[in-house]
Amino acid sequence: MARAAAVIFSLGTVYLVAGAVLACFAVLTFADRQHPRRWGAGAFWLILGIIFGVGGVLPHWVTGALVIAMVALDAAGQVRPGPAPERKEEQARHARELGDRIFVPVLALPVVTFLFALAFRILGLDANRGALVGLGFGSVLAMLIAMRLTRSDARTLMSEGRRLNELMGSVNILPQLLASLGVIFAAAKVGDFIAGGIVRLVPEGHLFLFVVANCLSVALLVMVLGNTFAAFPVIAAGVLVPLIIRPFGADPALVGILTLSAGASGTLMTPMAANFNIVPAALLGMKSEYSVIRAQVPVALGLLAVHVLLMWSLIRFSR
Amino acid sequence: MVGLLLRLRPTVVVVVAAVVTGLLSGMPLYAPEAAAAAGGPAREGLLNMLGRTFADNRLVSLFIITFPAIGLCERFGLQERAAAWIRRIRAATVGRLQVVYQLFRVLVGALGLRLNGHAAFVRPLVLPMSLGAAEAQAGVADVELLDAKRVEEIKATDAAAENYGNFYGQNLSPVQPGILLVYGALKGLGYEVSLWRMILFTTPIVLTSIVLGALQFLWLDRRRTKASGA
Repeated sequence: MARAAAVIFSLGTVYLVAGAVLACFAVLTFADRQHPRRWGAGAFWLILGIIFGVGGVLPHWVTGALVIAMVALDAAGQVRPGPAPERKEEQARHARELGDRIFVPVLALPVVTFLFALAFRILGLDANRGALVGLGFGSVLAMLIAMRLTRSDARTLMSEGRRLNELMGSVNILPQLLASLGVIFAAAKVGDFIAGGIVRLVPEGHLFLFVVANCLSVALLVMVLGNTFAAFPVIAAGVLVPLIIRPFGADPALVGILTLSAGASGTLMTPMAANFNIVPAALLGMKSEYSVIRAQVPVALGLLAVHVLLMWSLIRFSR
Repeated sequence: MVGLLLRLRPTVVVVVAAVVTGLLSGMPLYAPEAAAAAGGPAREGLLNMLGRTFADNRLVSLFIITFPAIGLCERFGLQERAAAWIRRIRAATVGRLQVVYQLFRVLVGALGLRLNGHAAFVRPLVLPMSLGAAEAQAGVADVELLDAKRVEEIKATDAAAENYGNFYGQNLSPVQPGILLVYGALKGLGYEVSLWRMILFTTPIVLTSIVLGALQFLWLDRRRTKASGA
């Protein structure tokens, strides 16, 4: 009994559900004659669905080959959004009747996630795992509530999910790819190389200067790459682990999340983060495309300084 | 890095970077898994490692599972209702409106929702509302009568309020990709961290971002009132 529950409420089940959701998106794309690249885009999401569903049991090199295939499809410009489904008159009318009740399914997500984490903790299990399993079951519950509330069928549900998914496109798998890249960097000892460079600049064993180097380097790398996700794995392997976590015994949760959010200061100051800084300038009809960045610089620098002080003092005084 | 500058597809850049780095460090492109499992001297192949780490990090992309429910709710007025809540904000000045909007955006992120706030909220709602507040503050009847520099500044800070709220607020949720990336990347480096401890440690940063944002928005408010009074 307990064993059955452990199997059902596991990350494996959640991955299977995610794989099934992606397979639904793929089938809908294959069937969509209006889609400009229905075979290529459908194949991309189907492969991701397969990796989600059975990636745990496939031989690693097969998964690796599937990843290469996905990226090749993306490189060939196949991964594009299809036309958005039209909103029907009755849907608009029903939306007005529903009013604020439309928030119920969306709020079910964080509530269930939190309850699962709590339940796992009480049972003496890993609360992280609880949150992730809760996210899966919360999503399923949210789907059921949303279908019932809006009186929609599963096909409408999945078409709307597909619309959101294709709108974001291949960017959706970027964080996951970058996490893999981080491990490969670590295996190739790229981290040691960066760490070696910093050690030459900063006197050894000086915690405060290492924290400054860490926060500055992540912000600068984000400014070049335009993306915190891309910078984090490099800095984690090159600065955070070898120079701060290992020698000073710093809490990895503490320095990990603070390094990520120190990177956000870089995002606020770079035109490379076009979605956040340049596109809005056009969207809001500004005279200069750099106005948003100019407004953000003082706050970004202030936050960067706060990151340094907070990280340093929390490491210093928790020892 | 060079690839991103050349505007190649980001996924391609990442995989090329992985392959080049791996090959330069002398990893074989492919190695049969049986040998590695038997504890043989063979190094893990690049293709094997890419597959293993990509599968290990599936949790980083788990947010995709929320799309059907959120997409359906959007179709039935999720954005419109959220917009109605923003419209209910009663703020006499531009600065106060921006403070409240940033708080709203932190809340949305903490609930685990991802949305393009610039297009969904700032352009259609926050900007018209803040221009309206600016007209009232300056005592003019039309946007055209506002100082051009002031309008540019309002637009820029509206966008900034969205970015501050979005960037820092999302780290308060255990299901957002940023926090999951930290979890996944540190796990790959041999450290299993708690999502909840990360949320705990990011809370002072979120509060600081709210305070610094508010200082900026309210300071600009005051400067304008002084300028128009003189």
